[in-house]
Amino acid sequence: MKIFKKIFKSNTLYYPGCLSKFVAKDLVENYRRILREAGLDFIELADLEVCCGSPALKAGYADDFKKLAEKNLQVFKEHSVGRIVTHCPACFMIFKKEYPKVFGEKWDIEVTHATEILSKTKIQNSKFKIQNSVVTYHDPCHLGRQMGIYDEPREVLKSLGYEIKEMDLSRKESFCCGGGGGVQSNESELANKIAKDRIAMAKKTGAKVLVTPCPLCYMHLKKNAEGEDIEVKELSHLM
Amino acid sequence: MQKEFLPKETKENIWKVVFEYKAKREKTLAGLGLDPEKFRDEFRKMKEDAFRDMENLRRRAIANLEKNVIKVFEARDVAEAQKILRDLTSADKLVVKAKTSAADEIGVDDVLKEKLVSTDLGDFIMSLAGARDMHPVFPSYHLTPKQISEIIKNKFGSEVAPDAKSIAAFARKYLREKFFEASTGISGANVITADGRIVLLENEGNISLISRVPDKHIIISGWEKIVPTVEDAMKVVRAAAVWGAGQDWPVYVSVISGPSKTADVQNELVIGAQGAKEVYLILLDNGRSKMLKDGPSTTLGTGFEELLYCINCGACLNFCPAYHQLGTKYGDKYLGSKGIILSAFMTEILRAKESGCYSCTLCSACAENCPAKIDLPGMMKKIRTKLNAKNLETDENKKMIGNTREFGNPFGELSEDGTPKELFCC
Repeated sequence: MKIFKKIFKSNTLYYPGCLSKFVAKDLVENYRRILREAGLDFIELADLEVCCGSPALKAGYADDFKKLAEKNLQVFKEHSVGRIVTHCPACFMIFKKEYPKVFGEKWDIEVTHATEILSKTKIQNSKFKIQNSVVTYHDPCHLGRQMGIYDEPREVLKSLGYEIKEMDLSRKESFCCGGGGGVQSNESELANKIAKDRIAMAKKTGAKVLVTPCPLCYMHLKKNAEGEDIEVKELSHLM
Repeated sequence: MQKEFLPKETKENIWKVVFEYKAKREKTLAGLGLDPEKFRDEFRKMKEDAFRDMENLRRRAIANLEKNVIKVFEARDVAEAQKILRDLTSADKLVVKAKTSAADEIGVDDVLKEKLVSTDLGDFIMSLAGARDMHPVFPSYHLTPKQISEIIKNKFGSEVAPDAKSIAAFARKYLREKFFEASTGISGANVITADGRIVLLENEGNISLISRVPDKHIIISGWEKIVPTVEDAMKVVRAAAVWGAGQDWPVYVSVISGPSKTADVQNELVIGAQGAKEVYLILLDNGRSKMLKDGPSTTLGTGFEELLYCINCGACLNFCPAYHQLGTKYGDKYLGSKGIILSAFMTEILRAKESGCYSCTLCSACAENCPAKIDLPGMMKKIRTKLNAKNLETDENKKMIGNTREFGNPFGELSEDGTPKELFCC
């Protein structure tokens, strides 16, 4: 039946994104499991797919970005991909907002962020112990300001039984973690300073755990929260 | 690599004001019953429409200003603007100046040196400190009252109590006589209308005095401030008040349509009554025309035209992560992402790299807070494209794109444990 469906209907692709695929690998395992538990039937393309092009585009390599997009579209079409699910906000934004600019109507693949699925599903709490069940939530720029996804990740956290203490700057006014736009590699000291100030804002809420659904924000904030009285978690760690 | 960062206390002083501004802006918008999204869309549309007709508007503005006895000089670059300003002020012994970014852009301090007195309180304080304004609307907001008192003491030897009221009282007393002593006042223009009027807004009253008390009033402004009508100009005033300072309307709005005049003696027209006797406008290009070369801005964000929709309210800085660490080190003649992008046109593309093009996280907090919805991050990417074309990008980006080209991901060859040897982020 599954094969039948795959032949005659389009596939859903789980696209983990380079940062999770090569660095924060535990996130890929988490999301594979969680998305399956949520009833999602998906394929993976491993090394057939290439980078979505986010770093190239942000560094101004517009032609390289276009080539990556074309390569991906070709691979996606070869595998009858009709929908992409990703947990990476950068990839999500690129597929949903930037690829249509390259391809116009030729880009007909539906793009979904993992939290859009998870907010509609009953998920198990990982039994990750949090004092008072209080967390604070960091809106990734790519997911929030860029794509307008503010509520879904918060709903996931609430359905897991956590109470969210908001920071002074959240949602549309979220304060960047400092890791994006190539700043982490080009201006690492600046990137760390910004992250440390964001950590301070998180600590001000009184929460002992900072949650974000972005591999980039997660890794960058975690690195800069070392020795601080707050723990940084990627959303999937709590599921 | 950025190495000079703002100290913790400075950052805290700035955040205090920013959070107060944020609360005030929200309250003001609610009080006005203004839907910020709708207002911003309409405001941008007004600017877009003005730019579609800019050549015509500019010609009309110049003709009508001249008809209103405001002498207009067009300056192609800083050197030309400085020469015009030098010629106009050569006989002056004292010149009073409003806080104006356009005057700073042409280096008004270099031209007038010790003849020049800044009269906006924050700008005045920073001139005493011998340092750059920290923000176009809040020049000295990073300083505590105590620090300001010390600056005054160091400069004049006067003891001023370290509180806002005493500092303002000192400035009022010190500056009052300067307005009357000065033969020339310099200001910018918040708006220029095609029917020949200059619109200026302020809270302190210093601009009112500058534009009326000395014999000469010299206005320095980029041509992008031209809009069709006075009604459009009032939209700029509203946007500047709300997004600049969080207030619904400034204390003073001046609409200047020429030098003061009277016809009270047998209907004979005399130019020069109680206000300024001569009014001049130095209309600056300084790289602005070059920004139109890549075509108009569209919803897809091509071209650099939309940067010229800027009304200099400084809202783009208020939540910028790089600015909050780097202060005046982030930007060039203008601060923040706007200043970095402008520097490529006012000077050369390398200047954009030096002034912080790679310190921008592209987080879009600037665009989100812009009353004209200017896509600053989009333009920052295009500046990076221009740098790439000249091989001027960072070594890290060269490695990242090399890896991407060869391996299909930014990290390139993995080490034996399957993790990247070097990390490049999005």
